[in-house]
Amino acid sequence: MQAWITKPGASRELIRPEEGPLREAVQRSLVLSKLQDLLAWGRKNSIWPFNFGLSCCYVEMATSITSKYDIARFGAEVIRGTPREADLIVIAGTVFIKMAPIIKRLYEQMMEPRWVISMGSCANSGGMYDIYSVVQGVDKFLPVDVYVPGCPPRPDAFMEGLLLLQKAIGTEKRPLSWVVGPQGVERMPHPSQRDLMRAERMKVTNLRTPDSV
Amino acid sequence: MIAETTILNALQDKFGVGDLVTQKACDRIPTFWVLRETIHEVLRYLKSEVTQPYKMLYDITAIDERARVHPEGQPASDFTVVYHLLSFDRNAYIRIKVPLKEADLHIPTLTDLWPAANWYEREVWDMFGIVVDGHPHLERILMPKTWVGHPLCKDHPARATEMEPFELPDEKQDREQDALRFRPEDWGMKRTREDHDFIFLNVGPQHPGTHGVLRVVLQLDGEEIVDLVPEIGFHHRGAEKMGERQSWHTFIPYTDRIDYLGGVMNNFAYLRAVETLGDIDVPPRAQVIRVMLAELFRIISHLVWYGTFAQDLGQMSPVFYTFNDRERAFEIIEAVTGARMHPNWFRIGGVAQDLPKGWDGMIRDFLKYFPSRLAEYDREVLQNRIFQARTKGIGGLTMNEAIDWGVTGPNLRACGLAWDFRKKQPYSGYEQYEFDIPTGQQGDCYDRALVRVEEMRQSLRIIEQCLENMPEGSYKSLHPLATPPLKERTMHDIETLITHFLGVSWGPVIPPGEALGAIEATKGNNGYYLVSDGGTTAYRTRIRTPSFAHMQTLPLLCRGLMIPDLLAILGSIDFVLADIDR
Repeated sequence: MQAWITKPGASRELIRPEEGPLREAVQRSLVLSKLQDLLAWGRKNSIWPFNFGLSCCYVEMATSITSKYDIARFGAEVIRGTPREADLIVIAGTVFIKMAPIIKRLYEQMMEPRWVISMGSCANSGGMYDIYSVVQGVDKFLPVDVYVPGCPPRPDAFMEGLLLLQKAIGTEKRPLSWVVGPQGVERMPHPSQRDLMRAERMKVTNLRTPDSV
Repeated sequence: MIAETTILNALQDKFGVGDLVTQKACDRIPTFWVLRETIHEVLRYLKSEVTQPYKMLYDITAIDERARVHPEGQPASDFTVVYHLLSFDRNAYIRIKVPLKEADLHIPTLTDLWPAANWYEREVWDMFGIVVDGHPHLERILMPKTWVGHPLCKDHPARATEMEPFELPDEKQDREQDALRFRPEDWGMKRTREDHDFIFLNVGPQHPGTHGVLRVVLQLDGEEIVDLVPEIGFHHRGAEKMGERQSWHTFIPYTDRIDYLGGVMNNFAYLRAVETLGDIDVPPRAQVIRVMLAELFRIISHLVWYGTFAQDLGQMSPVFYTFNDRERAFEIIEAVTGARMHPNWFRIGGVAQDLPKGWDGMIRDFLKYFPSRLAEYDREVLQNRIFQARTKGIGGLTMNEAIDWGVTGPNLRACGLAWDFRKKQPYSGYEQYEFDIPTGQQGDCYDRALVRVEEMRQSLRIIEQCLENMPEGSYKSLHPLATPPLKERTMHDIETLITHFLGVSWGPVIPPGEALGAIEATKGNNGYYLVSDGGTTAYRTRIRTPSFAHMQTLPLLCRGLMIPDLLAILGSIDFVLADIDR
């Protein structure tokens, strides 16, 4: 195959495809990938969260949508009012025993693929509410993909959780059809952030005193 | 004391000397024990016959007395039902208690006197198992219908980890879902009218317009709301039971999470009660710091309301602006306390730490910045024609209705009654500040909005006065019960060290007694009624929240209106689910 590119004013010359501007142009406009990976890339950059909140944490989650934090930077600002249109449910707040059956029903109404972020100490483990009316962690009845610590987590922390989820979604293997061999979704291991960041965190030896702003 | 004698004399003249027992309370609220047989008559008398009547039913709750160590000064009782009434004419509360025996837990209903009694009595049944005779709909209100036991009884487990591990298999899921099914007949509602059927529409507990996990079931005739039933309890976090387990000091962070938009405002109410119980003074600097932070949080809470209310009515942009301004206020909160929503910053006898260097500059910047923003919101929201059309004349409440239903705060002031607890019963030095009490006239959604917007301006005035007049001195009291004690007073000898250690590990021991600490919180009157049995924890922590009373008025506000009006009304009454269900 022969291909050439003409520039205005330049004399016509033959260009070999494996080098020069054509190669560059092709690299810029073509992506070679598997369909499955392409879908994962699309999914990860357009997560549609469910407009769902339980308590205090939801206010911080909502704050992450507003201008200072602007979750739209990560393509996750399309908040859906119905679970049927959403990919992500953020369990933002305390999981009450009276609310648990409803949360489960809402989760079941979401279509695959779907993900769960557990936001805040209550949803992670019950947190400071070891009390008769609170489920000690949403993972007692829902599979959780990312845990965000804090009471409530700052919007920044929630967005870090979202980025971690995006990373996980981008790397997971989700076959598009029946495949030979083991079935189901294959997830990359995600190690604890505490372990990953420990070395860097330990480097901090001086903390600013709270005596001045 | 004089107030107590006059009302005691009035009651004795009417009901005879025999059955009335007087109890001394730390908060100097006249407290009387009345027998069950006469309670209805006594309360009716106090509401409508006595001179300067007690028009508002402030709170009904109960105490499980079976584990008391110090029951001195009160009649024998297994369960005590406690009524708090508020008189606007006297500017005073009164507390009436009824002793009940464990074998005979019955009390007559007050729903014929005050409509507001309805939910309070349901809660007394739900939490204590006290049967309210004659109640129109005695059913659980906070716990699920399938719940066994009454959580605030002393023999009910407190911790989830003391109970069976939580599981949710399919059959339990179905059973719970079935228990949530709404049956109009249970509520005395008809399914049909003459020739057509009503529609029953379920809104919530998961709905963007309900501002949280609230369920409202509407009885609709076409689009018109005939009646509705609010169902609450989806956000019940057991804060009152928690108060019986946490020490006086370590309960403070739990208060932050009651009205979770109000931050330190909750600490304020709780500590007012604790400090009354322990007779703990608060130094002037700490008082002003408290007022300043509380007023900042009033602005922060109102900003959330402002933006979301406008959004409920279809305005997309205001919420982005108000949340930005909220972030500006949070920058100050964060610089002072280190946290955003739940600073947990007040301490028994003061605050956690002195103000950081440079705080005044931040406050000054905010004071300069914020008024022009408020002016812009006036143009953007309040003067918007659609906003006005959606709120004016919608969800109106008369002053008498508001008082009957226990409505306080901006919602009461919107009806025209200039009643602000910061002015009427000043605490933490509020009597020294100059500010006005904004009021409305119609008591409708628009007036409620106007009152809140004006309140933000008044809060700015108060903050400015704090800034200009911040006293020097200590941020923490020298009282021995102040927790944790100032560090300088802990490192001298073994004695001070041990006292400090006990105060920090077990917590302070508050002498037996009881006190109500009530403040003008962001949403209305928030009161902590604490009973101490002379231990390191409260014997009973009762949290009276404004949103609970306000939510109960919802059917009254909505009848005859349309569904979009419901959302306008929900937005305008400014509630927080944690403030309803605790």
